[in-house]
Amino acid sequence: MYIGVDVGGTCTDAVLLEQGLVRASAKVPTRDDLLATLLEALDMILRGVSAETVERVVFSTTMITNLIAGKKYDPVGMILMPGPGLSHQRYRYPTDVYIINGAIDYRGREVIPLNLRQVDDAAHALAGKGYHKIAVVGKFSSRNNRHEKEVEARMRWNYPNMHQELGHRVAGQLNFPRRVVTTYLTCATREKYEFFVRSVQQALQQRGIGGNVFILKADGGTLPLESSLEVPVETIFSGPAASTLGVQALTPPGETSVVVDIGGTTTDLALILSGQPLLASRGATVDDMPTHVRALAVKSVPVGGDSVVERVGKEIIVYSERLGLPYCLGGPLPTPTDALRVLGLTRLGDVEKAREAMDTIGAPLGLPAGEVAGRVTSLVVETIAREIEGMFFRWEQEPAYRVWEVLQKKKVRPQTVVGVGGGAAGFVSQIAARLGCDPVIPPYAPVANAIGAAVARPTLQVTLHADTEQGVYSIQEEGYQARLEEHPFGEDKALELAKNWLAKRAARYGLDGDLGRVEVTRRDVFNMVRDWVTVGRLIDITVQTERGILHYVNRGGTGFEE
Amino acid sequence: MRNKRTGLIFFPAFDWAISPTHPEREERLLYTRDQIFEEGVLDLPSIIEYAPRLVTTHDIARVHFCVPRVQSQVTEAHLIAAGSATLLGDSIFNGEIKNGFALVRPPGHHAMRVVHGNRGFCNINNEAILVEYLRRRHGIRRVAIVDSDVHHGDGTQDIFYHDPDVLFISFHQDGRTIYPGTGFTTELGGPGAYARTLNIPLPPGLGDETFHYVVDNLVLPVVKDFQPEFIINSAGQDNHFTDPLGSMRFTARGYAEFTRKLNPHLAVLEGGYAIETALPYVNLAILLALAGQDYSYVREPENWPSQFQDSPERVARVQRMVEQLLSVWETRDQVDLEKIFGAGTFYQRRKQIYYDTDYIEEEQQEKVRLCPSCPGYITIDSRADRGYGRPLRVFCVSVPFSACAACQGEAYEAYEQAKEKMSHFAYVYMQDKSTDTCLAFEREKGQEWVSEGPKAGE
Ligand SMILES: [Zn+2]
Ligand SMILES: [Zn+2]
Ligand SMILES: [Zn+2]
Repeated sequence: MYIGVDVGGTCTDAVLLEQGLVRASAKVPTRDDLLATLLEALDMILRGVSAETVERVVFSTTMITNLIAGKKYDPVGMILMPGPGLSHQRYRYPTDVYIINGAIDYRGREVIPLNLRQVDDAAHALAGKGYHKIAVVGKFSSRNNRHEKEVEARMRWNYPNMHQELGHRVAGQLNFPRRVVTTYLTCATREKYEFFVRSVQQALQQRGIGGNVFILKADGGTLPLESSLEVPVETIFSGPAASTLGVQALTPPGETSVVVDIGGTTTDLALILSGQPLLASRGATVDDMPTHVRALAVKSVPVGGDSVVERVGKEIIVYSERLGLPYCLGGPLPTPTDALRVLGLTRLGDVEKAREAMDTIGAPLGLPAGEVAGRVTSLVVETIAREIEGMFFRWEQEPAYRVWEVLQKKKVRPQTVVGVGGGAAGFVSQIAARLGCDPVIPPYAPVANAIGAAVARPTLQVTLHADTEQGVYSIQEEGYQARLEEHPFGEDKALELAKNWLAKRAARYGLDGDLGRVEVTRRDVFNMVRDWVTVGRLIDITVQTERGILHYVNRGGTGFEE
Repeated sequence: MRNKRTGLIFFPAFDWAISPTHPEREERLLYTRDQIFEEGVLDLPSIIEYAPRLVTTHDIARVHFCVPRVQSQVTEAHLIAAGSATLLGDSIFNGEIKNGFALVRPPGHHAMRVVHGNRGFCNINNEAILVEYLRRRHGIRRVAIVDSDVHHGDGTQDIFYHDPDVLFISFHQDGRTIYPGTGFTTELGGPGAYARTLNIPLPPGLGDETFHYVVDNLVLPVVKDFQPEFIINSAGQDNHFTDPLGSMRFTARGYAEFTRKLNPHLAVLEGGYAIETALPYVNLAILLALAGQDYSYVREPENWPSQFQDSPERVARVQRMVEQLLSVWETRDQVDLEKIFGAGTFYQRRKQIYYDTDYIEEEQQEKVRLCPSCPGYITIDSRADRGYGRPLRVFCVSVPFSACAACQGEAYEAYEQAKEKMSHFAYVYMQDKSTDTCLAFEREKGQEWVSEGPKAGE
């Protein structure tokens, strides 16, 4: 049996799956005591089930997201080596930043030597200011990590207890500012995340659950819980990924759909293209800072069931903030939920209060409650529909760097709008109508996130960059660099090497035997020509384990009562 | 308008090359990509990246006479490069962006009005296609094109030589020392567009200081005086001190400062073949300059910051040239055109054009109608010798977008006449920019093709 648990900001959802059927589900409020919350949810779904039969548990959590949003992380100092390029004035972060000399170019060649005296000065200053954690990041450090490693060694010599995080080990993709932020956040959240992991392990132990334990990442893949300690930031935004995978599991394979998760104050949108959740082309943005964290393409719209509705002059406006519960549930102000209640599109709350809420808006305009409710609903629907169109448009507008990529671009529109989350029911049919799609509210929609977590696959990726002229290669995800042993080294050998690394990585993560199909997602070979002669090759290969879900979840089984 | 963003289309055509070891190969913008990605400039709020799109064959036929037809002269990569320029043009006119950079391959500034093949790595002229597109789509008239490639932008010059509403300024390494061997101070435009073409051939070896002397004292004042509605920079980067084809000594910062001063609406990449030592830095610097960002930290690793000293004697030569050209510009309306170009109803010139990539020798007889009420229509009798088989002879008629009715009528007569003649021309073309109609006649099949631009609202 599989367990999926989504630890959200307000609710913790859990499901127990048995052979593709939902056997039990639970929804409990997330309390400050994380361990107690987890135990409560687990006890509800495991009623009458033996813990030994659980083969696999997957968690998704907003824990890191909330830590970062609340800036409740540890202070981290920075030592950066940006070298020439963008103005160094750009490298200002809400912490102490020391910029030192040293530069590497795009092929990993040293352009400016590292200045060790500046390293000492920076380390001394940071230590003096009480920092215990330092992020060390250089431009192009993923092409040559020597400077970062030299800084690390030097600092360890002088300050053995200083915790350091090196850019090339955290994020090997190109984009220095994103590497800086990702390294900084990794360094800042590591300890707190460890506390979360230990709570989870404790909860499972107390209930005698011994199966494999995974954590869901923002890209919809899972990682063994223990291994995730290395990459805490990758667990940000796993909530939306969980809902999206849940929808994928609950809807027919191969469909192109929009997942609409309407919450109290925000609506999360995600796309499933021909049955596969769409990955964002750039890393996730956390607390307004772009990172290298690979994530599903999710758009958060600041409108939800509890958003405040007001009349301004003759206009009705839906605001992005929330000031408590909907009026019909005892809250202070009219909300879209009150509008739905008046229209009979939800059964939540008191219909008389809902009408009263609409009347306070409509009376000065001479509009009946029903008319106001209609207008409020269409405002919400229009806002969300426009964002959905924008997502498809942006996807079509993704840059293309090859002729064939430009030529194969096509216009895609969704077939279905799938609603999940508390506030979905009332709006989804109208959003679908507006977009000319079929509305779907799958069974178990309120716990789709937990279902998504339960069926998520472990995913691993390996990106190899080889420069045969210089005779070096690197493995981006591992921060590993070495000389090429084989000559000549061509595309086939590069692919073989990348696959070996994938297997090695899988073994390290305890995933061997469970990899499934290996996909080659990138295969670039550039001949380097100097003076009309080919002097070497630049090879980029990315291989990954199969993405997606372990299996679809049957519509049958015990129903979830709202 | 100034607070808007800078649009970028980066199309390195990683799967397109003229031949595997040719300078125009897949690898050309690889390191530029690495630099731009690693700097994270695409995350800057002041820069927005667009996906490229294809230009239509009609957009090309509006500018070029492709022999025998557009499809036989262009690959999809060409359509994408030109389409990127027009897309950014659209985005500027619809107010999404204040300016743009078409960082695209393949280049185009050596492509002339008649296209028999590839010359100077170019098949179609991205800037010229953009100009005629903007005139059609957005109703503008006056455009300035400043070519900062080390090679003379002879294709762009050829296309706009008789167009009084296009100011074309090219500075480049002296044509006596580099391809294509043209671009001298005496090339000043035809009788109807005198001084709208200005060439500044620079002695090899000059650096940023002289470059900016020319920019400050000639390029900027003339462009300002011309009052263009749209400014294009043919942003070739082979003036860089490390370029293998050129012998100039400009730096990335020199290019960026030029970009800031010229403040073009659109920069379009042309040449530049120091793919490791120049392009990553020059492209980054130009992009930052367009976006109004600080580029003073961009510095290429080689030889910098050892300042290049320009030889005083050569600098003096450039200063005299600038003075002379400035006075040509200032007195352009007082000169006796008949004395320079002769009198009569037509002005004609003969041209020998060599296609270095495709080994084609072309001979042209170009005639312009000297008309008091419009720039006059142009006819070209072109004969291309590929070195094998019979030379291909074609006849082309071009009617400017601002043509008068009389010229338009005469032009169609010329077209019909060329079709009738029993012998000479294998293909006869008509390019009527005033109605946005292009015709092509193939003698052997006795067949005519018509292509028309989109009607209003399309
Ligand atoms: Zn030039
Ligand atoms: Zn050039
Ligand atoms: Zn006329």
